[in-house]
Amino acid sequence: MNYYGFLQDVGGASRVTKMRREAIENASVFPVKYDAIAETAKAWHPGKLRLVVKEIKQASPTAKTVRFVRKDGGELPYFYAGQFISLEFEIDGKTISRPYSISSAPFEARGEGSFAEITVRRSKGDGFIADYINDKLKAGDEVTGNMGLGQFYWEPLRDSKHVVALAGGTGITPFASMAKEIAAGKLDYDLTIIFGSVSAGDIILKDELDRIRCDKVKIVHVLSGDDPSWQGERGFITADIIKKYSAEDSTYFICGPQAMYRFMREELKKLDIPARRVRFEVFGQARDITAYDGYPAEKAGETFSLTVKRGIAEDVIPTRACESLVTAFERAGIKIDTACRSGECGFCRTKVLSGEYFVCPENDGRRAADKDFNYVHACSCYPLSDMTVRIPIE
Amino acid sequence: MKYYKDHYDVIVIGGALAGLSSALMLADKGLDVLVLERHNLPGGVATSFVRGGIEIEATLHEMMSIGEKGNRLKVGKFFDDMGVDIDWMKVPECYHASLPGLEVTLHPGLRKFAGEIDAVVPGTFSKVLSLLELCDRVYNSVNELSIHHMSKPMMLLKHNDFVRTAGYTTKEILDTFDLPQKALDLLAPYWIYVGSGFSDLPFTIYAVLMADYVGYGSYIPRKFSHEISLKLAERAEEMGVQIEYRQHVEKILVKDGKVYGVRTARGDEIHSDYVISAAYPNKVYTSMIEPLSEVPEKAIKMVNGRRLGLSAFSVIMILDRTAEELGIKDYSIFRGKTMDTDACYEELKGLGPYNYATCICHNLANPDATPAGTCSFSITTLPRADGWKAVGPDRIDEVKHKVAKALIDDMSEYLGVDLLDHILEIVIETPMTISHYTGMWNGCIYGYAHTMEDHIIARLQTEEEDKFIEGLEFAGAHQISGDGMGPAVTNGRKAAKLVLDDIAKKRKGASAK
Repeated sequence: MNYYGFLQDVGGASRVTKMRREAIENASVFPVKYDAIAETAKAWHPGKLRLVVKEIKQASPTAKTVRFVRKDGGELPYFYAGQFISLEFEIDGKTISRPYSISSAPFEARGEGSFAEITVRRSKGDGFIADYINDKLKAGDEVTGNMGLGQFYWEPLRDSKHVVALAGGTGITPFASMAKEIAAGKLDYDLTIIFGSVSAGDIILKDELDRIRCDKVKIVHVLSGDDPSWQGERGFITADIIKKYSAEDSTYFICGPQAMYRFMREELKKLDIPARRVRFEVFGQARDITAYDGYPAEKAGETFSLTVKRGIAEDVIPTRACESLVTAFERAGIKIDTACRSGECGFCRTKVLSGEYFVCPENDGRRAADKDFNYVHACSCYPLSDMTVRIPIE
Repeated sequence: MKYYKDHYDVIVIGGALAGLSSALMLADKGLDVLVLERHNLPGGVATSFVRGGIEIEATLHEMMSIGEKGNRLKVGKFFDDMGVDIDWMKVPECYHASLPGLEVTLHPGLRKFAGEIDAVVPGTFSKVLSLLELCDRVYNSVNELSIHHMSKPMMLLKHNDFVRTAGYTTKEILDTFDLPQKALDLLAPYWIYVGSGFSDLPFTIYAVLMADYVGYGSYIPRKFSHEISLKLAERAEEMGVQIEYRQHVEKILVKDGKVYGVRTARGDEIHSDYVISAAYPNKVYTSMIEPLSEVPEKAIKMVNGRRLGLSAFSVIMILDRTAEELGIKDYSIFRGKTMDTDACYEELKGLGPYNYATCICHNLANPDATPAGTCSFSITTLPRADGWKAVGPDRIDEVKHKVAKALIDDMSEYLGVDLLDHILEIVIETPMTISHYTGMWNGCIYGYAHTMEDHIIARLQTEEEDKFIEGLEFAGAHQISGDGMGPAVTNGRKAAKLVLDDIAKKRKGASAK
């Protein structure tokens, strides 16, 4: 090997040092501040935005559609049809957030007049924010929003060109967005929405859905209530109905109430559909945490004290065993960033320094190493003793 | 409410591997350290995420400079010394090279590696081995010289190979070995981990890379790279470091050429005489220093006179079959339509098609990485930001899918199975994704390119000339050791050492008075 013969130069270090000095000496003195990559990223994910309620309209006898625009008049972020927005409402000096699927289409957020809509049904008394939106929110009110979030959207490299959407109640919202985007020619797949409602007189977004004229979009209403005049499908969305409207190798998207998710898991099993063809929207905060296997029933009615560390500051607040840490924070006026409120997104990642807790098994999206070090997603974590936690400063 | 102390000994901007390594080393010396991280978890790109209940590695391919327990290399030893106990798993091979007319799996160990090349290109054993041994000597010299300063005659005496190869490109040195093209091709695949074509890549860098990976093999953490990041952060907190997540530092406060603190997006002004920044010098000197009048012209020239390194484009998939069922046999496959690294580098300036990619099947180093019956498979290429800068928000979705599909189609053809029929989860990461989560300048993860004009030796020689503001140091891929998770740790330690030296100097000065 004769590389020594070639490499007689022992002054290489000095030579490259001179080259570097010269390159810098000859460089421009103009400061380049612009980062084009960051600007594109920001157009999709600007973070929290101040929004104004532009208009509220009835979406069914029991539901309302709220239209938001940016307070600064600019364009809303790009997003995928099916994604959600996390909204923060300031009510009585407290900040409470909720995720809502965006019911308007991505193209409607582009250009002048850019807007986004959510559609929310009045609750049966257990939905504080749902009722606030239906009864109190009005045009001109301001909220903070972060969009588009979540993984519930059609991915061309993964999903079939034939999509069967299974919707229950307000679970129609992500599909309304998809349907409008397809009808506008912005997305290219066939969408059959099987939409479960109780009665023909209270179908959410019915007028809007009826207006969609597009060969690629088909809507099948299924009513569970007794309505003698109804000519269409009846009962729940069963395996038989799903099969009837499926194509070969369809992808299934499911969005609706929790009871429906549990029902659908079983119905879909009967059809022997490969796992990659089934996409559930996030589950939502557990209705009753005490009903889960492994939950220590004797703790259900207890209250505890929760020490919350932020930086060098410390607060002590009360908690209830049956409520998530996020609920406790919000009630006490302690701000925490949240989004999906289903344990998936990890926005509310919280370090548990001491205390016992229960994590909702249907909403446990934690990383393995996080579990080892007692990190929880506060929206799916329930106290079983006094606790001390650390959260980010908001 | 008061969230911060009135004053910290050091503020570290960025809680990824570099910043956390700085923080650990400073805390180990008893300093009061605050780390401000913009995301809600540590690690920057050294992280993982969960989709559909499955944890997915965001970045890591493999980490070098770890070494076996009991015989640790530089980075592994630092973790041990700091009490950071990572559950390392050894990657079985160096790589499988899938090149025109060549399908070869190469394993660590200099002799083994040379032997495996000889098996397909007979008669090359001794030449390849002597090249690898040269790499090893240069590597040992670099490690020693990064700790001990040495006089020129001593350098020549003890580090002859290092000195004599310092001024040459990788291509120039490889050419002297007079190897057949096929053997050269098999010695090239790791180039992408440093990201310059061989005619511009300092041999010193190539030597360190090859000696470390081929000599000692590589490692991955059992619980994804989040395990590394989290254990560093947890240990730092245990040692008294205050880490605050979701705190985006907007300004570095400077007066009379000296740092005195930072201001966050939330509006907190926090004071310290030392700031270590993981934010790129480009961003710091053009928009973060307050007031900007404190930035000397020379600092702008320094960032403008250097070329940014590579960014990344990854298609990460969870597939609904095992690796075995899909015919994936190696943890790491480097697939190149050509091994002309200069041509590959040129291609990375554009938007594809990219003819050079690295694929990782996690399960082949860590069988339990995904649920039974599935495997993870990622295809990564490392474009420069240049081409992607022209892709605005209205086109990014279309472009990323087009690029991703081309990569998937190529690997499908290679494996003889259509991967599109097996995707349980898919995530496409672009330079914009990196920018979004980490704020890194232009989504660039490789810092400044290792080139002959920005040679690591020159960086070391001109270290003092790159310093413009008292009390301000940098830690990240943009520093002397460059890109990669191992070098990130080294860069972080270096920044901490500069701060410690300065404190010691000032104390000495004060006591002398």
